[in-house]
Amino acid sequence: MGSYILRRLLQSVVVIIGVTLVTFLALHAGGDPTYLFVSERASFEEIEATRRALGFDRPLHEQYLSYVGDLVRGDFGQSLSYRQPAMDIVLEALPATMELALFSMLIAIVVAIPLGVLSAIHRGTAWDGSITTFAMFGQSIPNFWMGIMMILFFGLYLRWFPISGHVPFITPLLDGDIGTAFANLPRTILHLILPGIAIGTYSLARNTRLIRSSLLEVLEQDYVRTARSKGLSERRVLVHHALRNAWLPVVTIIGLEFGFLLGGVVVVETVFSYPGIGRLLFAAINQRDIPLVQAGVTLLAGVFILLNLVVDLVYVRLDPRMKLAEAGG
Amino acid sequence: MIRPISTRTAAAALLVATVTATACSQRSDDTIVVGLGADVTTFEPGMISSRDNANIARHIFGSLFSLTDDGQHVPDLAHTLVISEDGTGYVYTLREGLTCHDGEPLTAEDVAYTFNRTEDPANRFTGNAPGFVFTSIGFQGAEALDDLRVQINIARRNPIAFGLITEIYVHCKDSYEAMSLDEAASNPIGSGPYRLASWTRGLEVVLEKVRDPGNFQRIVWRIIPEASTRTAELLAGNVDIITNVVPEQIETINGSGRAEVQIVPGTRRMYVGFNLSEESRQMPGGDAIQDPRVRRALQYAVDVPTICRQLLSFECERATGPVNPPNDHPGLTPYPYDPPTAERLLDEAGWTRESGGTRFAIRLQAGRGRYVNDVNVILAIVQYLEDVGLDVDLELMEWSSVYTPLLRERSMGPLFFLGTGGGLWSPIYDMTDLADVDSGTNYTHWDDNRWFSRWPELVETETPEEARPIIDEMLQVFYDDGPWLHLYFQPDFYGVSNRIDWVARHDERVHLFDAGLK
Amino acid sequence: MSDRPVGAITVTGLEDATASSETSLRRAVRIMVAARWPIVAVLFLVATAIAAAFGPVLAPFDPNRQNLVLRLADPMASGPDGSVFWLGSDALGRDVLSRLLYGARVSLLVGFAAIAVGGTMGILAGLLSGYFGGWVDDLIMRLGDIQLAFPFILLAILFLVVLGSGVWNLILVLGVGQWVTYARIVRADTLSLREKEFVEAARALGDTTPSIIFRTILPNILAPLTVIASFNVASVILSEAALSFLGLGVPPSVPTWGSMLAESRDTLVANKWWLAVFPGVAIMLTVLSFNILGDWLRDFLDPRLRERT
Repeated sequence: MGSYILRRLLQSVVVIIGVTLVTFLALHAGGDPTYLFVSERASFEEIEATRRALGFDRPLHEQYLSYVGDLVRGDFGQSLSYRQPAMDIVLEALPATMELALFSMLIAIVVAIPLGVLSAIHRGTAWDGSITTFAMFGQSIPNFWMGIMMILFFGLYLRWFPISGHVPFITPLLDGDIGTAFANLPRTILHLILPGIAIGTYSLARNTRLIRSSLLEVLEQDYVRTARSKGLSERRVLVHHALRNAWLPVVTIIGLEFGFLLGGVVVVETVFSYPGIGRLLFAAINQRDIPLVQAGVTLLAGVFILLNLVVDLVYVRLDPRMKLAEAGG
Repeated sequence: MIRPISTRTAAAALLVATVTATACSQRSDDTIVVGLGADVTTFEPGMISSRDNANIARHIFGSLFSLTDDGQHVPDLAHTLVISEDGTGYVYTLREGLTCHDGEPLTAEDVAYTFNRTEDPANRFTGNAPGFVFTSIGFQGAEALDDLRVQINIARRNPIAFGLITEIYVHCKDSYEAMSLDEAASNPIGSGPYRLASWTRGLEVVLEKVRDPGNFQRIVWRIIPEASTRTAELLAGNVDIITNVVPEQIETINGSGRAEVQIVPGTRRMYVGFNLSEESRQMPGGDAIQDPRVRRALQYAVDVPTICRQLLSFECERATGPVNPPNDHPGLTPYPYDPPTAERLLDEAGWTRESGGTRFAIRLQAGRGRYVNDVNVILAIVQYLEDVGLDVDLELMEWSSVYTPLLRERSMGPLFFLGTGGGLWSPIYDMTDLADVDSGTNYTHWDDNRWFSRWPELVETETPEEARPIIDEMLQVFYDDGPWLHLYFQPDFYGVSNRIDWVARHDERVHLFDAGLK
Repeated sequence: MSDRPVGAITVTGLEDATASSETSLRRAVRIMVAARWPIVAVLFLVATAIAAAFGPVLAPFDPNRQNLVLRLADPMASGPDGSVFWLGSDALGRDVLSRLLYGARVSLLVGFAAIAVGGTMGILAGLLSGYFGGWVDDLIMRLGDIQLAFPFILLAILFLVVLGSGVWNLILVLGVGQWVTYARIVRADTLSLREKEFVEAARALGDTTPSIIFRTILPNILAPLTVIASFNVASVILSEAALSFLGLGVPPSVPTWGSMLAESRDTLVANKWWLAVFPGVAIMLTVLSFNILGDWLRDFLDPRLRERT
């Protein structure tokens, strides 16, 4: 187990270096960040001086090596547009995005389970039909469009939910201010509902269909038939035998799900003016704020890799058939 | 069988939470909330450059004098100004008893420090102050003459130096010397009526009142990038003022009974530039526009009033030159929309329609997302140009890191879409973009001697009356054979809640000192 | 990094699917007829394909012809010279119906081309990885890990900002975004097929490596990929819409359903519903059809679910 984790961690380092290299090359390939740091009417000499001062006149490999050197020391550099340590800015925006991603993951999984189960055990009925139809629609609506429509309907017309913004929960919690954190919690959740649904619906729909089909498959298996023939109640069969195994494909996608949900974050954070990492990085990419993009992408990749490691370990525990020896790769 | 009771319970709990939370988010009468479209990046006085960022900073930092949007001088931290005989020494006298937000007394030494610190190359500041103001006035240094008098030295007489100096954010020496540049970027210690209470990046900036003027105890600036969301927040009553209302949403806001849109004629000059450089000549259409007759023909091809009315919900008079009215040349009539004339002039210039109906191909470059409804305006212009036989190759680019470098190097295509900030306080300020053939803001590389040879005369004039005839002659040349396809002065759209009494300025500045409740 | 099966598709019944094409075809039709919806889906997609192919003939207007005075006209409103805007006009007075018809072209082109790009890359990478193993496998799988560690949309933004937007760049980016999924599945299948008797037999007969990979292994792993491909068309169309929303989609003179929907965002609050509803419904029905088709394909390829349908 220990060596497996070690190996995975080493692989992660390779992946993270790859991530920084790709980002670095891409950002340097097009556009010159110097122009962000001179005023609208700066002279040519000023522009040159600024370029030198920022080090953008040096050869690329030199810039990258010195960047990696700093990285190893834990220094991600200064954000070019904020003039603050890049990692600080990214870490400041991360909790809000984590709240949003986790909340939408919760919607995508917790709501999907009863829907999928209902749909499977009532196969062919109106229940099944409407849930499947809902799932189909959920997979075909662009998230920004759904976001704006929900703002207009639930935010403006019905006034049920706040239209935009964010109330922090994780940040005060990390600061040790537990009182504030929990006092904020109801409003945190309230602000998460619309953007969470906008991000989570696609996954919710997909998971519902996934759970439905995997449960249908399990219900046909021999051991379920055996359990039934032993006269166990349908509920017992479902909970003790079928659901347990229907879980596996769901756990499988949780890790990847997170990466997928983070993808929705860029767009949905913009729509709901939510102060998260997606919007921050989108602006940073547009402005060629290389240190900020690097810090953000590295952090997200790190979170993603860690999460997948955890999911793999859980998977190994859940699925006795899968041996650790085979889990390397 | 699993019964869905648990979900139902959860939904009920959520609903309860909704009601309670909505109840406690009521706004009080001593707070005004403004919704901005662009994010705020810094409160370092030397780094501030974007308009939204500057608008917030203006409430935190005082300046020596300020200008109203029509050019009236208003004393701020200083009450008198004496300019030396040769026009290079500006001596300001400060009001007594001023302090910075940390309680430190604000004296002439602090003002001198402000100027010198902002200019200091070691700080590598790149904001509006060091990057534009100081280079434009030829800043030479600042010194305290005594406790209340400070002298600013500039390189040469400059009719617009007074206005430019109003853009410097005054701060105190001791407090800024005690902070690193990192700290200063997020902890402004200002001299203005409001101090920074909190700043959550990407979400909001909260200011608290420390002195007059100002009717609200708190100003909350919320960052809401998506236009529909800003409008929804305004209509829901959560925000009092929003900037950059999308023209398509004006009717909805005005029809809501909760808010009104103020459309103010702005001072930003929108135009399609003709790049006359050698480089551009190599590109499609680059040679055609060298001929002033072709440039004039294209003026007749574009229906500017219709673009204003339809795409900007705004009745405009087409611009006749770079100078904002009422300082423009009163004798010039805007080019009318007259496609037959355009076609005739193009024929006369030798660019007749070929068999396919095309006269010549030309490249048009533009950044996107910078100006009101810019993509649609550009597409409309392309259509108009194609109607008279041009084959337009449109390149829409990301603004900040792709289009801006082209602008800086003055290497855009033969046609380029741009808007540059102007002012109402001086015609010369609006003409300064083209003060010199090689100036960084002469994006067109226009080199007509009838315009450029007049500058020495113009800057030596001492009164506006003396300058006027020269200005008008220059503007006539610009109108006839100039390098701009004239469009309009960009209007600004503010959505203002009915509970608020506030009038928007014409110069994109959002000042809330006079704003009050109705 | 991980060998967990990816996504919703578990590959089973490989041999069964390819055993006899005669009976498979009959079964395919039987499942389709029994389920009814796949027929509707196929009919809709055929209609869309016709619209895409004959758009220029069917469209009443040039999709880029503006008419500023008649902008934001309601559906059925009269257009210039006695014509009619059947589905209304947009913010520049362009005919929504014409743009929708032309949009079918680009949207479907982007969808299929992106999948062709991603599928080809992924299949090649997966075959190499699975067949050769060792450092080839390691390299390819690490590359996949690097890509998956980026949230896809950030990667797409990064490259579109740098390359500039345009139909072909969009196809490239959306295609490259897919390859890992295909590669992982192909790799897993190749790994198991590599040791199968018929592959051993081919090797013993002296077949060259490329021949074994492309003639013996490839045909046996293609079928399940079609299921993934049909689901992916949907996600590619949605990604295109999201990128258009961020201003990174196709140039504004090229109509796509996604960009039309993205352009409608400012007028939603003003109740110009037709700008959003028509492209929205077009996207939804297309995505729905591909999903239904994907479901049907999976049912067809998975023998254990066969009896139920």
